[in-house]
Amino acid sequence: MPEQKFKTKASLLLYFLKGAKRWFALAVFFAAMVSVTDLINPKIIGYTIDTILNGLPSSLPAFVNVRLEELGGAAFFRDHLVYVAIAVLIVALLSAFCRFMFRLCNSIAAETLVQRMRNNLFDHILRLPFKWHSENRTGDIIQRCTSDVEQIKMFLAEQLVMLIRSIMLILLALVFMSSISGPLTALSFSFIPIIIGYSFYFHRKIGAQFRIVDEEEGKLSSIAQENLTGVRVVRAFGREKYERERFEKQNHYYTDLWIRLLQLMAAFWSTGDIFSYGQYLAVILFGSYLCVTNQLTAGNYIAFVSYNTMLTWPVRGLGRVIANMSKAGISVDRLRYIMNSEEEKDVPNAVTPDMHADINFDHVSFAYENGSAEILNDISLTVKAGSTVGILGGTGSGKSTLMYLLDKLYDVPEGCGTITVGGVDIRTIKTSWLRQNIGMVLQEPYLFSRTLSENIRIARQSSDMKDVRNAAHIASLDDAIDHFSEGYDTYVGERGVTLSGGQKQRTAIAQMLIRKPPVMIFDDSLSAVDAETDAKIRAALKENVGDATVILIAHRITTLMNADQIIVMDQGRIVERGDHEKLLAQNGIYRRIYDLQMQQSNIEEEVDHE
Amino acid sequence: MSEKTNVKLPFFGVPKILPYTKKYRKRIISMVVMGIIASLIDSIFPLFNRYAIDHFIGEQTLDTIGIFVILFLLVLAVQVILNYISLYWAGKTEMDVDRDLRDASFNHLQELSFAYFNQNNVGYIHARVMSDTGKIGELVAWRLMDIVWNGSYLLFVFAVMLGINAHLTMYIAVLVPIAVVAVSYFQKHLVTLNRRIREINSKITGNFNEGITGAKSIKTLVVEETIGNDFKKDTIDMHRTSVHATRYSAFFSATWTMMSSIALALILWQGGRLNLEGVLQIGTLSVFMSYALGMMEPITMIIETIAALIAIQVNIERFTRLMETESDVADRPEVIEKYGDTFNPKKENWEPLEGDVEFRDVSFMYPDGNEMVLEHFDLTVPKGTNVAIVGETGAGKSTLVNLVCRFFEPTEGQVLIDGRDARDRSQLWLHSNIGYVLQTPHLFSGTVRDNLRYGKPDASDEEILAALKLVSADFVLAKMDKGLDSEVGEGGDLLSTGEKQLLSFARAILADPRILVLDEATASIDTLTEKAIQDAIATVIKGRTSFVIAHRLSTIVDADVILVVKDGKIIERGTHRELMRRKGYYYDLYTRQYEEMVVNAVTA
Repeated sequence: MPEQKFKTKASLLLYFLKGAKRWFALAVFFAAMVSVTDLINPKIIGYTIDTILNGLPSSLPAFVNVRLEELGGAAFFRDHLVYVAIAVLIVALLSAFCRFMFRLCNSIAAETLVQRMRNNLFDHILRLPFKWHSENRTGDIIQRCTSDVEQIKMFLAEQLVMLIRSIMLILLALVFMSSISGPLTALSFSFIPIIIGYSFYFHRKIGAQFRIVDEEEGKLSSIAQENLTGVRVVRAFGREKYERERFEKQNHYYTDLWIRLLQLMAAFWSTGDIFSYGQYLAVILFGSYLCVTNQLTAGNYIAFVSYNTMLTWPVRGLGRVIANMSKAGISVDRLRYIMNSEEEKDVPNAVTPDMHADINFDHVSFAYENGSAEILNDISLTVKAGSTVGILGGTGSGKSTLMYLLDKLYDVPEGCGTITVGGVDIRTIKTSWLRQNIGMVLQEPYLFSRTLSENIRIARQSSDMKDVRNAAHIASLDDAIDHFSEGYDTYVGERGVTLSGGQKQRTAIAQMLIRKPPVMIFDDSLSAVDAETDAKIRAALKENVGDATVILIAHRITTLMNADQIIVMDQGRIVERGDHEKLLAQNGIYRRIYDLQMQQSNIEEEVDHE
Repeated sequence: MSEKTNVKLPFFGVPKILPYTKKYRKRIISMVVMGIIASLIDSIFPLFNRYAIDHFIGEQTLDTIGIFVILFLLVLAVQVILNYISLYWAGKTEMDVDRDLRDASFNHLQELSFAYFNQNNVGYIHARVMSDTGKIGELVAWRLMDIVWNGSYLLFVFAVMLGINAHLTMYIAVLVPIAVVAVSYFQKHLVTLNRRIREINSKITGNFNEGITGAKSIKTLVVEETIGNDFKKDTIDMHRTSVHATRYSAFFSATWTMMSSIALALILWQGGRLNLEGVLQIGTLSVFMSYALGMMEPITMIIETIAALIAIQVNIERFTRLMETESDVADRPEVIEKYGDTFNPKKENWEPLEGDVEFRDVSFMYPDGNEMVLEHFDLTVPKGTNVAIVGETGAGKSTLVNLVCRFFEPTEGQVLIDGRDARDRSQLWLHSNIGYVLQTPHLFSGTVRDNLRYGKPDASDEEILAALKLVSADFVLAKMDKGLDSEVGEGGDLLSTGEKQLLSFARAILADPRILVLDEATASIDTLTEKAIQDAIATVIKGRTSFVIAHRLSTIVDADVILVVKDGKIIERGTHRELMRRKGYYYDLYTRQYEEMVVNAVTA
């Protein structure tokens, strides 16, 4: 295992938090200010009722009383109650300002964090070796990059901030409340652990239930998905009734699970009231008793009750926050897995040699994982600069893998042979240089959510429309493009028009041709194109590849037969090699495949005989 | 997306979904009544405090404390019970309605014609079944309760306040319209901004998807920089829009605080004056203050609910549009009368299907097309005939197959099955006699056995194994550890395309259909396996009427009739020999594949 970049959850969080930390600090500061300002109003109310209205001595701190006396004391305010209103409004303005700043700073912090997380994850994923991509499931990775990122954002920007806010509010309230009455505060606070504990316990419990319901929803969703994608099959077999029963069964099961969960939640929310109102009742009773026995003034009692009410929701929320915090820990670990995976790296002083050179595979062997079956076994092959090599082989014969090794999508392990270009080991060649110079058309190419012309020129941004048209023409794509109402500006890919397999392959060919790379690899890239278009494209290519080295992988012998050298692969080995004539004469696998594919020529003969 | 344009339905579209709530009407009414009582109790609680202040504290006595506690606990108990029931019922109603809507939409989809599926992509339809229904259920239960709870709470609070002191209540009442205007203003902006945020968000998710599923292409094209930079543009946009939205919501929450404080200031000022004049007791003053502070939330909630109602209209509209879409391939009432419908077939009335197919003067235009793709087309296919359809990729080779399967109906003319118009008998009757293998095979999650039995639910294991053997798919089974009980994964993802193809082939054979439709695979299977499939095809089409969308020469050469399709239209037809002799488009299509080979073979 290589050294992990982020050894702990905290180290990853701190890395992501770069740039967001000061905003979070500001948010916490303003949150504290909100709590302070919120706590001032009950004091004003208490003073108004006790001192101004009831003429009792002020219970405010001495330094405030001095100022108030300077203004004329209770007598003055009794005649000018509007000043009390103004005082409340001033505090309110301050509170509103702090609230605004808190939300804003918190949002900037959260968004900065999310932006940094997403950018880092995306850049990192783009630069992870292809091996990593093939070993990890797409859906899982996307989920990590979306829900887990969201979860961490929630944790830091909502849960953690709320936790800090609630704790600050509780502590400040404790100070304010105990200044009014110690015993009453003790009574009120004795409820808090119970309320938090109850809420914590409950949220833990339903958390597990939620996961089950989520899973069942996933199943329901995929039943619908399968039914819709397989609509032709459903109809053609007349299985609508079966489908309906399958969907209804899962739908009802899922609904019942939800209803049971809701029952739990309803029980929690309604019984939660018992504790909150119990606390309320206890405070009223004990507070009244204290007032009756002259240990508490009416104004202070009212202030105390407002403080107590202020605490109800933060306290009830606290249990939920604590219960959900563990989820964030899991999410951080899930992202840590991605961020700790190692990016593709070049060796120090990587070279950028001329790629118009002989490519040599020297005793190359390869297995996808240590110990698993070998995909390639002792492959030696020289591809002369500027020549065309055809590779024929069945599914799983290793022909695509051989090309992936050449393009460094997978690395040839040390001691398992070498691949050289012009005598230079590709391990020492800069990866981006190597790939830029090897144009590879994949069997199942991926088109990006852009327009057709943007797709074609994606790897060579400097190309103009003329280049694009030319490339499309050679790839026999222009006819198809003319059929689209928006032509080259047609949006394709995930959010656009869906192209047929053949059209995708042709787009990928155009995508490669526009780069004019010195090495061109066609990895079974005409398979989804019908024979007629296949022939057309091959004819056009022949005129346009110039002096490029070409490697053609195909099942179709007609595609390969003109190559300077043809190799036949079977189970990771090269079993036959030579040109078309030589291979036919060998009477081996090539010949057998050829005969099978060419059976149709008998018919030609029949026609001729007539 | 265009569908997000504002939809305006009468009464927010609520009347359209009333039929779905009929079953739960009683429960909904009781839940509303209980919600109202719960709000009433909520508004009563501060009065206990008032009593404590005015009576216990004001009069310095604890004489009634026993009754006070009992009353408080009693009210609390009622509150807890009412809350439990109304919360539970609201939730249950939501889920029940959700379920019914999902069932209804899913069932409706089973009967819609292919025109609908061609015009709407799977993701879009899926969202109708899975997410619109949820939104509507939420409306029926929670949005309704939100209005009930908050509306009645506000009403009660005002009633109580008016009862205590009308003068002071007036001051607070003035604030309400101001609050409503302020809240609505922010709400409107927030709705727009939040929609924008959702759009960017789905774009970002799309980007992730692209970066991951497209990894191989990105690497071979070396476009990490380009893709990465474009991604950053979206995340910057997200940052900007989100913070912008927060500015509104933060200003909104600040305003909200201000409004409560203004109410509080007014009460202290005016209430204090009244107290000094001896008109108002301190306990009452305190009650007013708690009401004033607690009033802003219900107002906000009501406005948010209205905003949600406006947003839900889109969901209602989309859902009802789906439900109102009628299948353009529907059985006539008298046909249903005799043969039964899709879900309740009357199999006892079904005639056996022989397999004679005839197109009689058929003209056809796709419902979303603007050009006839078939014009006055005639073709007789006696039972047991093999029809091959050839042409370039995307030339429209599926059209005939769609008509034979009655996935679409002719615009003019008739398709006859066994001499009778296909429309004279039910779709299910026809489909039960057709076997269909797609070019891109589709399997359902479940076991191999489940999948193979799809066309013949009562097939025995022996029959299944025999079918597998017939199409040389027994080796696929041998590779799997649990035999017929092996799972194939979602959409058959645990298998390779070639393996899926073989299994779907066995599935079609097992149903022993009189008519077989094959969309031949192009090149996903290695040559030797493919040869085996070709042999199997030859075996199974024997004695059946078959329509093969063909790519392989062996299939075409032996076909009884070949239809050549170009640009959606049938331009040539005949046997292989006839067509070769004609030296037309088919001849070109053909010889071109071999020309090069022949030339090279000769010149070598």
